Amino acid sequence: MIELQHVTKLYPASNRPALDDVSTEIDKGEFVFLIGSSGSGKSTFLRLLLKEDDPTRGTVTVNGKTLNGMSKWQVPKLRRSMGCVFQDFRLLRNRTVAENVAFALEVINKPHRTIKRVVPEVLEMVGLDGKANRLPHELSGGEQQRVAIARAFVNRPLVLLADEPTGNLDPETSEGIMLLLERINRTGTTVIMATHDYHIVDSMRRRVIELNGGQITRDQSRGVYGVGR
Amino acid sequence: MRVNFVLSEVATGLRRNLTMTVAMILTTAISLGLMGTGLLIAGMISDMKEIYYDKVQVSIFLADGVTDEQRSAIETQLADSPEVASYLYESKEEAYERFRQQFSQQPELVENTPPDALPESFRVELVNPERYAVVAAEFPNGQNGVDQVRDEGDFLDRLFSLLNGARNATIAVAVVQALAALLLISNTIQLAAFNRRNETNIMRLVGASRWYTQLPFILEAALAGLIGALLAVGGLVLTKVLFVDKTLAGPIKAGIIPPVDWGAIATISPIIAAAGVGLAAVAAYVTLRLYVRL
Repeated sequence: MIELQHVTKLYPASNRPALDDVSTEIDKGEFVFLIGSSGSGKSTFLRLLLKEDDPTRGTVTVNGKTLNGMSKWQVPKLRRSMGCVFQDFRLLRNRTVAENVAFALEVINKPHRTIKRVVPEVLEMVGLDGKANRLPHELSGGEQQRVAIARAFVNRPLVLLADEPTGNLDPETSEGIMLLLERINRTGTTVIMATHDYHIVDSMRRRVIELNGGQITRDQSRGVYGVGR
Repeated sequence: MRVNFVLSEVATGLRRNLTMTVAMILTTAISLGLMGTGLLIAGMISDMKEIYYDKVQVSIFLADGVTDEQRSAIETQLADSPEVASYLYESKEEAYERFRQQFSQQPELVENTPPDALPESFRVELVNPERYAVVAAEFPNGQNGVDQVRDEGDFLDRLFSLLNGARNATIAVAVVQALAALLLISNTIQLAAFNRRNETNIMRLVGASRWYTQLPFILEAALAGLIGALLAVGGLVLTKVLFVDKTLAGPIKAGIIPPVDWGAIATISPIIAAAGVGLAAVAAYVTLRLYVRL
């Protein structure tokens, strides 16, 4: 499903690698926490999977396709098989909830009929039915993140990447978001979530990959955030 | 491709940075207007060349006291010369008549010129206009009833070098303006892309094609280019109606300057439009490739 082989990423401005000879494999349908302090390489990890950046050395494979040397016009197709959720939601402020979700389908040329059908479905799934016509600023943070998740999931991606999706939310709201991600995971979607939230990691007991200084220092199925915490 | 989506993006883009858009349109319009003017002058020059060069190349003016024998001797010499393609005799009366017609718009000048002030002459067309000197040597000035031999081509050359200079200067200014227009377009597109970075970021992440992401920006520039071109054509029409047709009415009527006709404007308008749209679109595309991550 997803495979990194001896991946090293150097950014031009820094002489310390963001990722240092990282190899790992993530299977279809897995739920993986990516943990580690700021600057440990979590975001770089996610960026490489999206082909926002190319590794300096090593190969990245997603859905059986090697991203190294993938031509530019193939990248959109890769990204259509992935959904992304961020700490800051990244919603379009002047569009309603339904329009925000529909936007993701419009710009990849999905037919109107499909959009009309699937947008209410996914809004109901994330628990936002009845709020389709609200604007983002009329929603709570948790609700905004649900919109972002709906947008990421509406095209039924094989992989959902979440970069600290609960970073801006209180614990209770975070729990709701995690239940939603779990539900998405149960549909067969691989979920990779970078996080600092040890409550969540400890209570979910899923696979944990810990990065430290660009290297994998721990890879544990059913892991917790930190030993001795 | 979702036409509505793209068009609404274009409209939003143009509205959001209105001042830049207006600046971009105006610079483009000025540049294209000057380019059009340059093209019109070029067309005019070639029209004038046809009018003048074909008519007369060498004039042999006869002295006031020329005798009939001298006149017919000159005529025989012209008829026999292998250098001469054709010739035409113009009497004093005919010369005066032509003069009156040419300067009908300046009656004072005509009134102050006595009918016999203009010399009779032979208007000679050469087989090869550049062999003027050879012909001139056959008719020495001040001898055998010849007053003066004049190479009209020489005067025309000077006139046309003046007009060519005007054309080149117009086109040079047009090019400088075009450069300014291109930079403005590039700047506007960068701003537009920055204003819509949230949208384009999301489009990138959900896998919208590059083309889909870029098209609104390129169309935005192309539309501004088209509006600029329309303004430029409007400017040319106004210049024709308000300046050329009024101020230059006299010389045009007299056949000294060819008129700027609607046909010429109709011919260059599509060129201007294509240049405006094409340059703007290319500038936008290059800007997106170089400066904007889509």
